[in-house]
Amino acid sequence: MNSRIADELEHGWTKVWDVSIASDPLLGVELIKQILDELEQLNWDQGELFGVHMSLEEAIMNAIKHGNGLCENKQVVINARISPTKFYVRVEDEGPGFDPTAVPDPTLDENLTKPSGRGLMLMRIYMTCVEFNSTGNQIELLKVRQI
Amino acid sequence: MAEFECIDVSDSNDVSIVRLVDEKVMDPVRVQKLGDELLSLPRQESDRILINMENVRFLSSAAINKLIVLEKRLSKKGGQIKFSNLQPEVKEVFNITNLNSVFDICEAQEDALEQFRSDQ
Repeated sequence: MNSRIADELEHGWTKVWDVSIASDPLLGVELIKQILDELEQLNWDQGELFGVHMSLEEAIMNAIKHGNGLCENKQVVINARISPTKFYVRVEDEGPGFDPTAVPDPTLDENLTKPSGRGLMLMRIYMTCVEFNSTGNQIELLKVRQI
Repeated sequence: MAEFECIDVSDSNDVSIVRLVDEKVMDPVRVQKLGDELLSLPRQESDRILINMENVRFLSSAAINKLIVLEKRLSKKGGQIKFSNLQPEVKEVFNITNLNSVFDICEAQEDALEQFRSDQ
């Protein structure tokens, strides 16, 4: 299968995280903060950081809460890479996965006040590319800066 | 009046003005706390609520869901809710997700209060 993200991974990354965390939201928040702080050091602007923050938060919290059901003996594997021009993250949980094509469009009138689908939509807006594995328990996000 | 951690509540002509305290509304424990505090409002205050979001630089979709639940709860009771002072990035999220058609969004707190007065 063609993958835009795979083509972009050969890159001179400035910083790399390859970690596995327990399904504790606070551990997710701490890692998100670290990544955003490092991106800020690389002069990513506030608008871009907002989009990365939103996407990273959705991907990691979805894995912890919906994928692993907040079960602390289940792990979330996170591989993140950043540089002055690119942000990449792969997040994998131990859950059964889901079908991203079956998520309803949250902008349709009948879905506007439903809780699901908004996070996935925002990730697709803010990231250059969003890909899932066939099981649906792994997401990859890529942002290429327009500079 | 109840003590709150995630919101500051004041009153102006029977409108509850609610300022969200956190700059980043993302920590799941805080999001849950925020939701609980917001949902306690319609019973304690008037049924007209203005959410001033000036402090908020980031909010997760889970936090947005709490605002939606409040809006639904209030609408069901015949109440009104308005939002004001959104930061540009937060406003963009509401626009992208079409929530600007669900939420009544005003530029400034005074604009929202004026609308509440003229709605009476």
